[in-house]
Amino acid sequence: MRAAPEPADKRLRRPLPGPRPMFHRIFRADPATVRAALQFLRARFDGSAGDEVIAKLELALAEVLNNICEHGTQAEAVRLGGRPHAPLIHLCVARHVGGIACAVTDDGQPLPPSCLDPRSLPWTGLPPDGTDAILMLPEGGFGWFLIQELTASLSYFREGRRNFLAFIVPVTEPLMQGGPATADDGWPVPGDG
Amino acid sequence: MQLTLLPQPDGLTIRVDEKRLDAAIATAFKDRVRSMIAAGGGGEGGGQVTLDLAGVDFMDSSGLGAVIAIYKAMPPGRQLILAGLTPNVQRVFRLTRMDSVLTIRNTADATAPRQERP
Repeated sequence: MRAAPEPADKRLRRPLPGPRPMFHRIFRADPATVRAALQFLRARFDGSAGDEVIAKLELALAEVLNNICEHGTQAEAVRLGGRPHAPLIHLCVARHVGGIACAVTDDGQPLPPSCLDPRSLPWTGLPPDGTDAILMLPEGGFGWFLIQELTASLSYFREGRRNFLAFIVPVTEPLMQGGPATADDGWPVPGDG
Repeated sequence: MQLTLLPQPDGLTIRVDEKRLDAAIATAFKDRVRSMIAAGGGGEGGGQVTLDLAGVDFMDSSGLGAVIAIYKAMPPGRQLILAGLTPNVQRVFRLTRMDSVLTIRNTADATAPRQERP
Protein backbone atom coordinates (compact mmCIF):
# COMPACT_ATOMS: atom_id res chain seq x y z
CA MET A 1 0.00 0.00 0.00
CA ARG A 2 1.37 3.39 -0.89
CA ALA A 3 1.61 6.05 1.72
CA ALA A 4 -0.16 9.31 1.11
CA PRO A 5 2.02 11.96 -0.58
CA GLU A 6 4.06 13.98 1.87
CA PRO A 7 3.28 17.65 2.29
CA ALA A 8 5.50 19.85 0.15
CA ASP A 9 7.35 21.44 3.06
CA LYS A 10 8.42 18.02 4.33
CA ARG A 11 9.55 16.87 0.90
CA LEU A 12 11.74 19.95 0.52
CA ARG A 13 13.71 19.09 3.60
CA ARG A 14 14.79 15.72 2.23
CA PRO A 15 17.99 15.43 0.21
CA LEU A 16 17.64 16.16 -3.45
CA PRO A 17 17.16 12.95 -5.37
CA GLY A 18 19.39 12.11 -8.26
CA PRO A 19 23.00 11.12 -8.73
CA ARG A 20 24.45 14.58 -7.98
CA PRO A 21 23.93 15.29 -4.30
CA MET A 22 24.91 18.58 -2.69
CA PHE A 23 25.53 19.46 0.91
CA HIS A 24 25.82 22.68 2.86
CA ARG A 25 26.19 23.09 6.59
CA ILE A 26 27.33 25.78 9.02
CA PHE A 27 28.72 24.72 12.38
CA ARG A 28 31.17 25.59 15.15
CA ALA A 29 34.56 23.88 14.97
CA ASP A 30 34.29 21.09 17.49
CA PRO A 31 35.15 17.37 17.13
CA ALA A 32 31.59 16.30 17.96
CA THR A 33 29.94 18.62 15.42
CA VAL A 34 32.55 17.65 12.84
CA ARG A 35 31.70 14.00 13.39
CA ALA A 36 27.98 14.69 13.00
CA ALA A 37 28.56 16.65 9.79
CA LEU A 38 30.70 13.88 8.31
CA GLN A 39 28.16 11.19 9.16
CA PHE A 40 25.42 13.23 7.52
CA LEU A 41 27.66 13.84 4.52
CA ARG A 42 28.37 10.16 4.08
CA ALA A 43 24.71 9.27 4.26
CA ARG A 44 23.92 11.82 1.59
CA PHE A 45 26.77 10.98 -0.80
CA ASP A 46 26.70 7.20 -0.44
CA GLY A 47 25.96 5.76 -3.85
CA SER A 48 26.83 8.95 -5.78
CA ALA A 49 30.30 7.53 -6.48
CA GLY A 50 32.24 4.40 -5.58
CA ASP A 51 32.64 3.49 -1.91
CA GLU A 52 36.36 4.25 -2.08
CA VAL A 53 35.74 7.76 -3.41
CA ILE A 54 33.21 8.52 -0.68
CA ALA A 55 35.65 7.17 1.92
CA LYS A 56 38.42 9.42 0.57
CA LEU A 57 36.06 12.39 0.61
CA GLU A 58 35.19 11.74 4.23
CA LEU A 59 38.82 11.31 5.25
CA ALA A 60 40.01 14.45 3.43
CA LEU A 61 37.25 16.55 4.96
CA ALA A 62 37.87 15.07 8.40
CA GLU A 63 41.51 16.17 8.20
CA VAL A 64 40.62 19.69 7.05
CA LEU A 65 37.93 20.13 9.69
CA ASN A 66 40.04 18.62 12.48
CA ASN A 67 42.77 21.12 11.67
CA ILE A 68 40.32 23.99 12.08
CA CYS A 69 39.18 22.56 15.43
CA GLU A 70 42.73 22.12 16.61
CA HIS A 71 44.47 25.22 15.27
CA GLY A 72 41.79 27.66 14.16
CA THR A 73 40.71 29.25 17.40
CA GLN A 74 41.78 32.89 17.63
CA ALA A 75 43.42 33.75 20.90
CA GLU A 76 41.59 37.09 21.06
CA ALA A 77 38.21 35.63 20.17
CA VAL A 78 36.93 35.43 23.72
CA ARG A 79 33.23 35.35 24.41
CA LEU A 80 31.33 35.85 27.61
CA GLY A 81 32.50 33.44 30.26
CA GLY A 82 36.11 33.62 29.15
CA ARG A 83 36.07 30.65 26.76
CA PRO A 84 37.55 31.27 23.33
CA HIS A 85 35.13 31.27 20.43
CA ALA A 86 35.60 28.26 18.16
CA PRO A 87 35.69 29.24 14.46
CA LEU A 88 32.45 29.09 12.50
CA ILE A 89 32.81 26.70 9.57
CA HIS A 90 30.85 26.82 6.33
CA LEU A 91 31.08 23.52 4.47
CA CYS A 92 29.80 23.07 0.94
CA VAL A 93 30.16 19.84 -1.05
CA ALA A 94 28.81 19.07 -4.50
CA ARG A 95 29.08 16.10 -6.82
CA HIS A 96 30.21 17.16 -10.29
CA VAL A 97 31.18 15.20 -13.34
CA GLY A 98 34.72 14.01 -12.68
CA GLY A 99 34.85 14.77 -9.01
CA ILE A 100 33.34 15.88 -5.74
CA ALA A 101 34.00 19.57 -5.14
CA CYS A 102 34.50 20.81 -1.59
CA ALA A 103 34.66 24.35 -0.22
CA VAL A 104 35.48 24.97 3.42
CA THR A 105 35.57 28.42 4.94
CA ASP A 106 36.16 29.47 8.54
CA ASP A 107 36.78 32.62 10.53
CA GLY A 108 39.67 31.20 12.51
CA GLN A 109 43.41 31.76 12.44
CA PRO A 110 44.92 32.25 8.99
CA LEU A 111 46.17 29.02 7.50
CA PRO A 112 49.99 28.96 7.38
CA PRO A 113 50.87 29.00 3.66
CA SER A 114 53.33 26.14 4.17
CA CYS A 115 50.39 23.76 4.69
CA LEU A 116 49.75 23.93 0.95
CA ASP A 117 53.36 23.21 0.03
CA PRO A 118 54.06 19.75 -1.35
CA ARG A 119 54.35 17.44 1.60
CA SER A 120 56.23 14.35 2.44
CA LEU A 121 55.47 12.09 5.33
CA PRO A 122 56.59 13.35 8.74
CA TRP A 123 58.47 10.09 8.98
CA THR A 124 60.86 8.87 6.32
CA GLY A 125 61.77 5.41 7.46
CA LEU A 126 63.13 3.92 10.63
CA PRO A 127 66.81 4.43 11.36
CA PRO A 128 68.72 1.13 11.22
CA ASP A 129 67.57 -1.08 14.10
CA GLY A 130 67.75 -0.04 17.71
CA THR A 131 64.64 -0.07 19.87
CA ASP A 132 64.84 3.67 20.41
CA ALA A 133 63.78 4.09 16.80
CA ILE A 134 60.21 3.30 17.80
CA LEU A 135 60.16 6.27 20.13
CA MET A 136 60.96 8.54 17.18
CA LEU A 137 57.75 7.65 15.36
CA PRO A 138 55.56 10.70 14.88
CA GLU A 139 52.08 10.71 16.38
CA GLY A 140 50.89 13.63 14.30
CA GLY A 141 51.70 15.68 11.25
CA PHE A 142 49.90 13.34 8.87
CA GLY A 143 46.91 15.58 8.23
CA TRP A 144 48.13 17.79 5.39
CA PHE A 145 49.97 14.90 3.81
CA LEU A 146 46.71 12.95 3.66
CA ILE A 147 44.77 15.96 2.36
CA GLN A 148 47.26 16.38 -0.46
CA GLU A 149 47.24 12.66 -1.25
CA LEU A 150 43.46 12.44 -1.39
CA THR A 151 42.59 15.64 -3.23
CA ALA A 152 43.28 17.57 -6.43
CA SER A 153 43.19 21.30 -7.30
CA LEU A 154 43.80 22.24 -3.68
CA SER A 155 43.61 26.02 -3.39
CA TYR A 156 43.46 28.54 -0.59
CA PHE A 157 42.98 32.21 -0.06
CA ARG A 158 42.12 34.46 2.84
CA GLU A 159 39.63 37.26 2.48
CA GLY A 160 38.78 39.56 5.35
CA ARG A 161 38.51 37.39 8.44
CA ARG A 162 37.84 34.12 6.66
CA ASN A 163 39.92 31.26 5.29
CA PHE A 164 38.71 29.77 2.00
CA LEU A 165 39.92 26.31 1.10
CA ALA A 166 38.70 24.46 -1.97
CA PHE A 167 39.58 21.11 -3.53
CA ILE A 168 38.25 18.20 -5.53
CA VAL A 169 38.14 14.54 -4.67
CA PRO A 170 38.53 13.01 -8.13
CA VAL A 171 36.09 10.46 -9.47
CA THR A 172 37.43 8.40 -12.32
CA GLU A 173 34.31 6.40 -13.02
CA PRO A 174 31.60 8.05 -15.11
CA LEU A 175 28.82 9.80 -13.24
CA MET A 176 26.36 7.13 -12.29
CA GLN A 177 23.34 7.47 -14.46
CA GLY A 178 21.06 5.01 -16.12
CA GLY A 179 23.07 2.12 -14.71
CA PRO A 180 21.35 -1.02 -13.59
CA ALA A 181 21.51 -0.02 -9.92
CA THR A 182 20.34 3.55 -10.45
CA ALA A 183 16.77 4.65 -10.56
CA ASP A 184 15.99 7.22 -13.24
CA ASP A 185 15.09 10.01 -10.90
CA GLY A 186 16.38 8.94 -7.54
CA TRP A 187 19.02 7.22 -5.51
CA PRO A 188 20.67 3.97 -6.43
CA VAL A 189 18.57 1.18 -5.04
CA PRO A 190 20.60 -0.83 -2.52
CA GLY A 191 20.84 -4.48 -3.37
CA ASP A 192 19.15 -4.00 -6.72
CA GLY A 193 21.05 -5.18 -9.76
CA MET B 1 33.56 4.85 24.47
CA GLN B 2 33.19 1.12 24.12
CA LEU B 3 36.19 -1.20 24.44
CA THR B 4 36.01 -4.89 25.33
CA LEU B 5 38.85 -6.73 27.04
CA LEU B 6 39.15 -10.38 25.97
CA PRO B 7 41.82 -12.43 27.78
CA GLN B 8 43.72 -14.84 25.51
CA PRO B 9 46.02 -17.76 26.35
CA ASP B 10 49.01 -15.81 25.03
CA GLY B 11 48.04 -12.30 25.99
CA LEU B 12 44.94 -10.22 25.57
CA THR B 13 42.70 -8.81 22.88
CA ILE B 14 41.15 -5.37 23.09
CA ARG B 15 38.16 -5.15 20.81
CA VAL B 16 37.25 -1.62 19.71
CA ASP B 17 33.45 -1.41 19.64
CA GLU B 18 33.43 2.04 18.08
CA LYS B 19 32.57 2.65 14.45
CA ARG B 20 34.68 5.80 14.33
CA LEU B 21 38.21 6.26 15.65
CA ASP B 22 38.32 10.03 15.13
CA ALA B 23 39.34 13.28 16.79
CA ALA B 24 36.26 13.17 19.03
CA ILE B 25 37.57 10.13 20.93
CA ALA B 26 41.24 9.72 20.00
CA THR B 27 42.73 10.98 23.26
CA ALA B 28 40.29 9.06 25.47
CA PHE B 29 40.86 5.94 23.34
CA LYS B 30 44.62 6.17 23.75
CA ASP B 31 44.40 6.64 27.51
CA ARG B 32 41.87 3.82 28.00
CA VAL B 33 43.81 1.29 25.94
CA ARG B 34 47.06 2.15 27.65
CA SER B 35 45.55 1.68 31.08
CA MET B 36 43.90 -1.59 29.97
CA ILE B 37 47.28 -2.88 28.80
CA ALA B 38 48.93 -1.82 32.04
CA ALA B 39 46.23 -3.41 34.20
CA GLY B 40 45.00 -6.23 32.01
CA GLY B 41 47.73 -8.75 32.63
CA GLY B 42 47.49 -11.60 30.16
CA GLY B 43 49.89 -14.37 31.04
CA GLU B 44 53.46 -14.37 32.22
CA GLY B 45 55.27 -11.20 31.30
CA GLY B 46 52.06 -9.85 29.86
CA GLY B 47 52.15 -11.49 26.45
CA GLN B 48 51.02 -9.86 23.26
CA VAL B 49 48.23 -7.36 22.86
CA THR B 50 45.89 -7.61 19.90
CA LEU B 51 43.90 -4.53 18.97
CA ASP B 52 40.82 -5.79 17.12
CA LEU B 53 39.71 -3.01 14.76
CA ALA B 54 37.17 -5.04 12.78
CA GLY B 55 34.32 -2.87 14.01
CA VAL B 56 36.01 0.41 13.06
CA ASP B 57 34.63 1.77 9.82
CA PHE B 58 36.37 5.15 9.86
CA MET B 59 39.73 6.33 11.18
CA ASP B 60 41.40 9.70 10.66
CA SER B 61 44.93 10.85 11.48
CA SER B 62 43.92 11.47 15.10
CA GLY B 63 42.98 7.81 15.42
CA LEU B 64 46.19 6.84 13.67
CA GLY B 65 48.18 9.01 16.09
CA ALA B 66 46.48 7.31 19.03
CA VAL B 67 47.38 3.85 17.69
CA ILE B 68 50.99 4.94 17.17
CA ALA B 69 51.10 6.36 20.70
CA ILE B 70 49.81 3.04 22.08
CA TYR B 71 52.45 1.20 20.07
CA LYS B 72 55.21 3.45 21.36
CA ALA B 73 54.07 3.05 24.95
CA MET B 74 54.00 -0.76 24.93
CA PRO B 75 55.80 -2.22 27.94
CA PRO B 76 59.19 -3.75 27.08
CA GLY B 77 58.91 -7.25 25.68
CA ARG B 78 55.22 -6.99 24.77
CA GLN B 79 54.06 -6.83 21.20
CA LEU B 80 51.11 -4.88 19.78
CA ILE B 81 49.27 -6.53 16.90
CA LEU B 82 46.60 -4.80 14.84
CA ALA B 83 43.90 -7.11 13.51
CA GLY B 84 40.70 -6.95 11.49
CA LEU B 85 41.47 -3.80 9.52
CA THR B 86 38.55 -2.65 7.39
CA PRO B 87 39.35 -1.04 4.00
CA ASN B 88 38.98 2.51 5.34
CA VAL B 89 41.32 1.86 8.25
CA GLN B 90 43.77 -0.02 6.04
CA ARG B 91 43.91 2.96 3.67
CA VAL B 92 45.14 5.33 6.39
CA PHE B 93 47.90 2.92 7.47
CA ARG B 94 48.89 2.38 3.84
CA LEU B 95 48.91 6.04 2.77
CA THR B 96 51.05 7.00 5.76
CA ARG B 97 53.32 3.94 5.26
CA MET B 98 52.63 2.97 8.86
CA ASP B 99 51.63 -0.48 7.60
CA SER B 100 55.36 -1.15 7.19
CA VAL B 101 56.14 -0.19 10.78
CA LEU B 102 53.26 -1.60 12.80
CA THR B 103 52.44 -5.29 13.03
CA ILE B 104 49.24 -5.95 11.13
CA ARG B 105 47.61 -9.37 11.05
CA ASN B 106 45.64 -9.84 7.89
CA THR B 107 43.54 -12.80 8.87
CA ALA B 108 40.03 -11.92 7.92
CA ASP B 109 38.76 -15.11 9.56
CA ALA B 110 40.47 -14.45 12.87
CA THR B 111 37.72 -12.05 13.81
CA ALA B 112 34.03 -12.47 13.34
CA PRO B 113 32.95 -11.02 9.99
CA ARG B 114 30.97 -7.86 10.30
CA GLN B 115 29.11 -5.76 7.86
CA GLU B 116 31.00 -2.65 7.03
CA ARG B 117 27.85 -0.62 6.74
CA PRO B 118 24.32 -1.18 7.79
